[in-house]
Amino acid sequence: MSCTSASPPETDVMDRLYFEDFPPGETAEYGDYAVTAEEIMTFARAFDPQPFHLDEVAARETMAGGLIASGWHSAAIMMRINCDEVFLRSSAQGSPGLDSIDWLKPVKPGDRLSVRRTTIGARPSRSRPEIGLIEMRFELLNQDREVVLRQQGSVLFRRRPDGEAAR
Amino acid sequence: MIGLWYEDHAVGQAASLGSHTFTRDEIVAFAQKYDPQPFHLDEAAAAKSIFGGLVASGWHTVSVSMRLLVDGRRGQHQAAAAKGEAPPPLGLGRGVRDLRWTAPVKVGDTIAYSLRVESMREIRRPGWGLIGMRISGVNQGGREVCAFTLFGLAARRSG
Repeated sequence: MSCTSASPPETDVMDRLYFEDFPPGETAEYGDYAVTAEEIMTFARAFDPQPFHLDEVAARETMAGGLIASGWHSAAIMMRINCDEVFLRSSAQGSPGLDSIDWLKPVKPGDRLSVRRTTIGARPSRSRPEIGLIEMRFELLNQDREVVLRQQGSVLFRRRPDGEAAR
Repeated sequence: MIGLWYEDHAVGQAASLGSHTFTRDEIVAFAQKYDPQPFHLDEAAAAKSIFGGLVASGWHTVSVSMRLLVDGRRGQHQAAAAKGEAPPPLGLGRGVRDLRWTAPVKVGDTIAYSLRVESMREIRRPGWGLIGMRISGVNQGGREVCAFTLFGLAARRSG
């Protein structure tokens, strides 16, 4: 894992985002993900088969009071929104980890979710000169603009190659 | 295995959660749905990434630990019910601290997951306590691949 490829990064995407394209203090909002009961139950059957994630009727008898998405499912949905809107047109190279995930409100069938991203800080990698770490806060918002999930941590991006014009 | 009630826990208790082998098909299926970055989907593209090959989404590796945790608890619920005991109501998760993806999970890797109770705290909500448990996954070579502290509510016997 510590050895990196010697081949140059791909530059076939015109608007590819690099480490340099996430200035600290910047915020952005994007995405519109419709959550269905079917998707909540499908995720739960695979990864979190508890009654409040599996069955509308059984969920009413639990502390959730009704069907809600697994917290891991809401985190995965936020990842998908981030991939579609940011990471897939970037030089993102995964994440070493997150400081925190807070599940603040339930995610329910029919919710429409979007992401608010805030760039907290940026620093070059000490061990890999071609990589930098961006510290980001991601908030998952529902249709009432309530923050349902807040997450903070670092994402690795390649640095813009010499000679490639800024975005 | 650790008991289901808040009072059954003690800081320092540890338990195995079992293990899981990650197949190429499930790595790609998870990635297609939730994390379609090239290094989770396609060997050729993954070879050019910093991972040097296809790796599981970190969200996949932690979601599998949740499945193993829930399976273990469900077995305990059923055992309690079979003995005529009322199992405790299930508590919801509050959040995670210090999540680390420390090594990639590659096709065919078998990850053994375990947990250790790190903290216990009574909360204002009557009938519930907050438990912090460190969950970690270790691959077949003995290397840790992920670790995080999960905070969740556990029902109290004493109410």
